[in-house]
Amino acid sequence: MSIENDTAFHKQSVDAFALLGGQPAFSTPLGTSGLARPDVEAFLSYSKRFFDAKQYTNNGPLVRELEKRLAAFHDAEHCVTFCSGFWALVMAIETLKLANKSEIVMPSLTYRRLADVAAWTGLRPRFCDVDPKTLAISPETAREAITDETALIVGVHPIVNCCDAAGLIKLSEETGIPLLIDAVESVYEETEHGRVGSMAPIEVFSLHASKLINGAEGGYITTSNSDLRDKLRLIRGFGFQGQDNVVVGGGTNAKLNEIHAALALANLDSLEQFVAHNQNIYRTYEKELEVLPGMKLLAFDERFKTSYKNIVVELTEDWPLSRDRTIEFLNSENVLARPYYSPALHQKPMRYPHFPASLKTTEKLCSKFILMPSGFMVNPNQIRNLISLLRSLFDAADQISEYQERAHQ
Amino acid sequence: MSVKHLACLGGEPAFADPLPVGQLYFPDWERYEVAMRGIFERQYYTNHGPLARQLEARLEVFLGVKHVVCVTNATIGLMMAAEALELSGKVLTPAMTFLATPLSVARCGLEPVFCDVDPVTHHMTPATLEAALEPGVSAVLGVHLWGSAADTIEVQKWAEKNALKCYWDSAQSMGCETAKGLIGGFGELEVFSLHATKIISAGEGGCVATNDPDIAARLRNIRSSYGAGPAVSVVKTSNGRMSEFQAAIALLSLDDFEMNKANNIALREVYMSELCDIEGITLEPLHGVIASNAQSIVVRVGEDFGVSRNLLKDALSAENVLARRYFWPGVHKVEQFMRQPQWNLPQTDQLNEDVLALPIGSRVKGEDVGTIAKLIREIQRNGAQIG
Repeated sequence: MSIENDTAFHKQSVDAFALLGGQPAFSTPLGTSGLARPDVEAFLSYSKRFFDAKQYTNNGPLVRELEKRLAAFHDAEHCVTFCSGFWALVMAIETLKLANKSEIVMPSLTYRRLADVAAWTGLRPRFCDVDPKTLAISPETAREAITDETALIVGVHPIVNCCDAAGLIKLSEETGIPLLIDAVESVYEETEHGRVGSMAPIEVFSLHASKLINGAEGGYITTSNSDLRDKLRLIRGFGFQGQDNVVVGGGTNAKLNEIHAALALANLDSLEQFVAHNQNIYRTYEKELEVLPGMKLLAFDERFKTSYKNIVVELTEDWPLSRDRTIEFLNSENVLARPYYSPALHQKPMRYPHFPASLKTTEKLCSKFILMPSGFMVNPNQIRNLISLLRSLFDAADQISEYQERAHQ
Repeated sequence: MSVKHLACLGGEPAFADPLPVGQLYFPDWERYEVAMRGIFERQYYTNHGPLARQLEARLEVFLGVKHVVCVTNATIGLMMAAEALELSGKVLTPAMTFLATPLSVARCGLEPVFCDVDPVTHHMTPATLEAALEPGVSAVLGVHLWGSAADTIEVQKWAEKNALKCYWDSAQSMGCETAKGLIGGFGELEVFSLHATKIISAGEGGCVATNDPDIAARLRNIRSSYGAGPAVSVVKTSNGRMSEFQAAIALLSLDDFEMNKANNIALREVYMSELCDIEGITLEPLHGVIASNAQSIVVRVGEDFGVSRNLLKDALSAENVLARRYFWPGVHKVEQFMRQPQWNLPQTDQLNEDVLALPIGSRVKGEDVGTIAKLIREIQRNGAQIG
């Protein structure tokens, strides 16, 4: 079947777009989540181990194995798992922050709950700008936000490629302010300074279903510091060391259960297949977008290992519709494209103490990017159809604005 | 079995495998496998999926409340609860509780203030609350223990009289009922644990029950489950989601509730007859409930037992009977929660010194209870050597 002949994706008239009354191009939604599915037998065979040991949580056999495997995978000395990336971040901040300081430096163009993460530690977010080349926090932008009250810097790897982690580590060493790297989107990545997960004092990852390693819900940290490892192991389990012995404050229950560990282990076993799938998706976007004006694919830096997982496009001035309007059209066609980190954190209302900021680069960038469908549930043929759909949206842009003007009259 | 040589005196342990105090019921492999294959077929892993929604609906019926919000564990549920109630300042709570209770309060930037408990029921009363009330308290966080219950109505009345919000840590109370209604519908909300050690288990898990639609909506937003009801303003969000895997296990566990409860009750009856004539050992009766999950066997070890509670615990542990001191250390003795002048909570101190929880649940058979009782007698008889 030739794509050009398929009217579902190549809309012949303005009112064929679902937003303007037509049928959605895709019958099932195309999402942006990883949703990697390992072999069910592999999952069941891991499950059998906790089942036979009759241990369902509380640092069980699979959690211990997962931690060993992930540490090896990242070239890190230690790994500590958690019930989610969110609580891994909270616990890591709690463990690393300078005592008696009240502020935390973080980029604004990032994960939409990162400021909330900080609020659970009582630190007041001070947002910094990003480097337009990496879309990430840089040593220079971080430095601008440092004050006498800074307790911690959160470096965040963007969802395509990496931030200058080595530069941030140097800044941290120079200022004495601890650094935590949020590496949730960079599980597989390597840089010229080594593997992500082997660099900063603490790097934090997620095992959420949408991420590279699907553990349904879950998270983990890597560290080369055994004191930090020990403290994190303690506070994820209420602060108990052994039975009846509370040795640290500020604990909670942030333990990963055995069933989620089984899923993460099975997915870790099939990780290379998932990365190959992602690369295939990425190559399809690369090829198809080359001939579509106005939409530029954010390229992975292929000098180093990468997961090819997230697909981000930039709208250039040739693209005829606004970013938000484009997403509206796509969503109605069952394409669950999302604005890339928009609004930025500092643009959102916040009901806890924070520092208002004006961040020129972030404000400019956060209206230009779209996160496009990818992951295990998406195949290259769907991507080709999606680009077809985008081509018809591009072609019909003039008629769409006329159509809407008429509709408003 | 014959108890010849106590392990603490150089003999072999009475049990080859440890007997824990937690429930640890789990569905059999066939049912587990079917449920897991279903998740893999649907490829829906988390985020308020079909099983999580089904579990919430079934728990709403089971607990007799309008809204149940499932969460990844009860501690995070308690934190979300304090957030959803938008509390400030201090929270009054009994010191006779598991550490998670005050930790949840402190994680929300609030200060726990501890009250004592009634020595007979082990629960807070209006009198113990009144004695501990101080300026700055905005809420009461009630606690139910052992499958018993505090006097919910009296505590609530007292809270109302003092213009305080009242919510409940009902982590141990899944499936318990008082003369005034099922545990689950009292106060602003109640938080339950679905941990593996509880009668209904999700492996790790919990849920929050409430009859207030606004609180439920805030909880869902704080939990952050995309698409689960309307977006409402909350101070801060978190990740408290329960996955499909957790929900699948909890649904199977809910199916088994009556069976597991009956097993607990049968074990409890064996304990009652086996322990009743041991001097210095008192099996705590269930207080304040007309139906209980019977998930705890709590005894008090009196001076007349002849061996201290701690030595009894150690001697039982050596036999692979993993008896537990509850709560040890008392939360008011934990550095994070100590203050000057020191907490004056004599009843809690006493209970912390003489309460011992004994094994019950899936790993314990009726005849094991007989053996445990024999061991306790034997430990008593050898008191001089042990002590």
